[in-house]
Amino acid sequence: MSRSASFDPARSGDEWRFFATVGRAARSRAGFALTVLACGLGVFRELLRPASWHRPVRAELRRSLSQAVGGGLVTTIVAGGLVGIAMVYEALFWLGEVGEERLVGSILVSVLVREVAPVLVGLILLGRSGAATAEMSELHPGHQLDSLNRQGIDPFLLLVLPRAVAFAIASYTLGVVFVATALTVGFTAGRVGGNVVMSSWEFSSTVLGAMRPADFVIFPSKMLAIGMLVAITSVLTGLEGSGRDRASDRLPRTFTRGTLAIMVTSLVLSLTI
Amino acid sequence: MRGATPVLELLMAEADDSSALDIVAALSLRLMPGECIVIEAADEAELDAFADLCCGLIPLRAGRVRCLGHDWTDLSHIYAAALRARVGRMFADDTGLPFLDAETNILLPQLHHTNRARDELRAAATALAEEFGLPGLPQGRLSDLAPTDVVRAMLVRAMLSEPTLLFLHEVAPTLRPAILNRVVAMLDRGGAVVWLIEDRAARDLHRYAATQWLRLAEQGLAPTRPTR
Repeated sequence: MSRSASFDPARSGDEWRFFATVGRAARSRAGFALTVLACGLGVFRELLRPASWHRPVRAELRRSLSQAVGGGLVTTIVAGGLVGIAMVYEALFWLGEVGEERLVGSILVSVLVREVAPVLVGLILLGRSGAATAEMSELHPGHQLDSLNRQGIDPFLLLVLPRAVAFAIASYTLGVVFVATALTVGFTAGRVGGNVVMSSWEFSSTVLGAMRPADFVIFPSKMLAIGMLVAITSVLTGLEGSGRDRASDRLPRTFTRGTLAIMVTSLVLSLTI
Repeated sequence: MRGATPVLELLMAEADDSSALDIVAALSLRLMPGECIVIEAADEAELDAFADLCCGLIPLRAGRVRCLGHDWTDLSHIYAAALRARVGRMFADDTGLPFLDAETNILLPQLHHTNRARDELRAAATALAEEFGLPGLPQGRLSDLAPTDVVRAMLVRAMLSEPTLLFLHEVAPTLRPAILNRVVAMLDRGGAVVWLIEDRAARDLHRYAATQWLRLAEQGLAPTRPTR
C-alpha cells in the first residue's frame, strides 16, 4: 500500500490538531526551562563583571541575602536537628548494633551530605522564595519593567542577578549549617542514649575521612546551583503573565517549578560528578 | 547654536512593525540645545512610544536616531543605558517599584548611574521636592501617596540628574510654574525639552515655554500652527 493511498485528508486535520496540542504544551514547559537556564548563564556572565554591581544591585543583594539567610536559619536548624535524630542517630545506633560503626562516615556522607541536605535546604529556600515571587508579581511588564529600561537600568541586573546570587550564597550557608546541626544533634543524641561509644573527635574524623575529593565538589555545586535556580524560577514565575494574576495564583506554580528544579539539579549533579 | 551637536536627531526613522509605535511614516526631527518643543498625539501610549523611539528603546526598520551625537544602534547596551541616564523622563502611569520605598524609587537612577553620595542625592532631591510642592522627600511607599504627589515624586526623579534631554507629560496647573522655572533653567544650560501632550484644542506655546508645536500622526511629525 502506498503512503498516498493510506493518507485520509478528512482524518489528517484531527491528527495534526492532536500533535499541535501536545507540541504546544511540551514547548511551553520546555520554554520555561530553557529561559531558566538562559538566565542562569546570564547570572554567571554578569556576576564576574564589576560593572554589573551598581549600588542598587548591591543593596538588593544585601536585602535578599538577609531575607533568605535570616529568614531560613531557624527553620534550617530545626530541620537539621530533626534529621540528626531521624537519620544520624538511627545510623549510629543500628550500625553499632551490627558492629559496623566504621561505615557510618561513608553512609552519612553519601546520604546526608550528598543527597538529603541539598534537597531539604532547597525546599526551605523555596519557602523563602515566595517573597520574591510576590514582589515580582506586583510588577507589570508594560509598566515598571519598561520604566526601568527607560531609566537606563537593566531589569535583569536589578531583579534577577542579586536574588540569584543571594539565594546561591544562602543555600550554601544554610547547607553547611544543616549538615553541622544534623551531625551534632545526632551524635549528641547517641551519646546521651548510650548507643555511641566513639568520641566526638573520632566521629568527626570518620565522617571527614569518608569524604572523597568529588564530595568537596558536589556539595558546594549542588547547594549553589539549587539556590540560584530556586531564585530564578521564583522571579520568572512572578514576572510571567499580564499582571492580572495575584501572587496567590503564582505561588503554587513557583513551588512546583522550584521543586522540580531542585530534584533535577540534585539528580543531574549526582550522576555527573 | 552654530556648530553645536543636536541633542536629539531623528533621521527618517521608521519604527519596526512589531513595536508599540503605531506610525508607519518616517520621522525626522532635530532638536538643538536650548530648544523646547511640544509633541501632540492622540494618546499617552503613543507619546511614550515616541519617547522610547527617541531613547533607542524601539528597534528601527530604517533610518537613525541620535542622542547627543550618539547613534543608538552603534552603542552597546551598557553605553546605551548610561546615555539614557542623561535623559530625564516622566512616564504615564508611573508607579515606581512597589518593593522599594519612595525615597529609593526617586534616587534609583542616580544611585545606579553615579557615584554621588546618597546623602548628597537625598539633599538635592529634598530641595527639588520642596520646589514641586512636597513637604520634603516622601517616606514610606509610593502607593501610599496621593496620585498628584506621585507625579511630583516622579518629576523629582526625572530632574535630579540635571538631564540634557527631558521628556515631560502634561501636569496639573499648580505644578506648572515650578516646572517651567526648571525647564527655562535647563534650556539656558543648553539642554532640550520635549513636552508630550495629548490632543489639545488650544495650542498655547507660552504655556510650555516651547518654540514649536508638532503633531504625531500616521503621516509622521507635522508642524501645527499654535492657536496663540
